Amino acid sequence: MLKKNKSNTSASDVGRKRKNDIIFIVLLLVVISVSALVMLLMRSEGDTVIVTVDGKTIGEYPLSENREEKIKNGDGYNILVIKDGKADVTEASCPDGICSAHRPIQHDGESIICLPNKVVVEVRTQDKNQPDIIT
Amino acid sequence: MKKRQLIWTFLLICTFSVSCLFTSCGSDDEKKLNKYVEYSLDYFDTATSITGYEENQEDFDRVSDEILKELAEYHKLFTIYHRFENFENLCTINDLTDGVHRTVTVDKRIIDMLLYAKEMYQLTDGKVNIAMGSVLSIWHDYRTAGLDEPWLAELPPMDKLVEASKHTDINNLIIDEENSTVFISDPEMKLDVGAIAKGYAVEMLARSLEEKGISGYVINVGGNVRTVGSKPKNEKWLAGIENPDKDSDEGYLVYLGLAGESVVTSGSYQRFYTVGDKNYHHIIDSKTLMPAEGYLSVSVVCKDSGKADALSTALFCMDFEDGLALVESLSDVEAHWVFEDGTRKTSGGFDKYVTER
Repeated sequence: MLKKNKSNTSASDVGRKRKNDIIFIVLLLVVISVSALVMLLMRSEGDTVIVTVDGKTIGEYPLSENREEKIKNGDGYNILVIKDGKADVTEASCPDGICSAHRPIQHDGESIICLPNKVVVEVRTQDKNQPDIIT
Repeated sequence: MKKRQLIWTFLLICTFSVSCLFTSCGSDDEKKLNKYVEYSLDYFDTATSITGYEENQEDFDRVSDEILKELAEYHKLFTIYHRFENFENLCTINDLTDGVHRTVTVDKRIIDMLLYAKEMYQLTDGKVNIAMGSVLSIWHDYRTAGLDEPWLAELPPMDKLVEASKHTDINNLIIDEENSTVFISDPEMKLDVGAIAKGYAVEMLARSLEEKGISGYVINVGGNVRTVGSKPKNEKWLAGIENPDKDSDEGYLVYLGLAGESVVTSGSYQRFYTVGDKNYHHIIDSKTLMPAEGYLSVSVVCKDSGKADALSTALFCMDFEDGLALVESLSDVEAHWVFEDGTRKTSGGFDKYVTER
C-alpha cells in the first residue's frame, strides 16, 4: 500500500515537472519578447528633436513623426518642421536667416541654432556613428 | 516547493542576464561614460557648445559650468560691442576721450591676447590685422543694416573704406607689458579682434582643462573647435567639415580624426548679406577692402586653436599658392580649401587626419 502510494506520487511528480518545464519556457519566452519589445520602443523613442529657447528645453519631439511647430521667443519666432525623419527650420523672424538657410538635420548631435532668437534645435539619435564635431 | 524555488531563481537569473544583454551591449569592467552636450548663446556673439564624456550629468555640469564661467570672462574682456560698468575691455580701449584714446590699464589676459595678435600679424604677413577696426566697423554697420532692412541693403562706399584703411597701422597699438597698459596712438584707429579672440580664448580654456588633467572634451565657440584629449578608450573625435553646398545630400566633405588638436573653418557661406543679387560675406581682405574672393571655406587643423583661427582667416584672404606655401612652412599645420566652384585642395600632410566615418 505504501509502495503503491509512493509510485503514484512519483508519477504525478514527473507530470508536475513537465508542467513546470513548460511554464518555465513560456515565461522565459515572454520575458525575452517583452524586453525585446521594450528595447525596440525605447530605440525609436530615442530619436528625438530637442528644442531649447534661452537655455530652457521647451519641447522634445520624436523625429519619426511629421509635425510643424512655431517656436516663439518674445516677438521672434522660428518655424520647425519635422518631416520624413529630418528636422528643419523653414522660416524665422531673425534678420540673418542663418537658421532657415541651414540644411535639414537628422543625425545625432546635429543642431540648427538661431542666435537672435536664442533657439537651439538639436537631434539626438541612437546611431552614435556620427561626427562629434561639425566645422 | 523546493523545485519551484529553484525554477524561480533560475528564471530571475535569466531575466536579469537578458535585460543586462539588452541594456548595455558589451558591458565591461570600465566605467560607463556618457556623452553630454551643453549649449550657450551668450558669448562672442555666436553659439558655443561643450561636449564631454562623463559618468553622470553632475560631473559634466561641474566641468562645463567652469568652462562657461571662464568663457564669460574672456567674452567680457575681448568684446568690442559690449560695455560693462567700471570694467576696462576692448571697447574702452577703442573709446575716445576728447578725440583721443586713453592709456587703459587692462587685465593681463587682454595684454597676452594683443601680443598674440601682433605675433599672428607677423606670421600672416599682415593678413590678420586687429588694427583694421575702422574698416571692419563700416562693413559691420552696412551688413547689420542690410540684414535688418534687406530692401535698403547697400555696399559701403569705397572712398569711405579707403579713408578708414589709412588708420590700420598695427604699430600704433602700444602695449606696455610691464604696466599692463594699452594705448592706441592714432585717434582714428580701432581694434577688431574678431579673427583672433575666439580662437585664442578657446585655446586658453582648453589649456586650463589640460592643466587640471581633464580629458574627453570638445570646446566649440562659433566653429572654433578645440579637442581636449580623445574620447573614451582612446578613440578619436570625429570631425566633419561641413559641405558649403547646402543643396547637396552630402552634409560633410571629409571626416577628420582628432585627439587634442584644433580645427577652425572660415567660410563665406554662413554669415553674409545680400545686395542686389550678390552675397557679401564677413571676411574682409585688407588689400581690396572687400570680402575676400576665391573660396567657399578654408579649414585649418593644428594644435593651437588661436593659430588655427588666425590662419583660417589669413588663408581665406590669400591665393592658394601663397597660402599653401605658408602652411607648408609651418610645422604641424594642415589646411583644406574649398574653392568657389566646389573643387577642393589640401596641404601635404592633411590626409593623416582624414578618417572614414
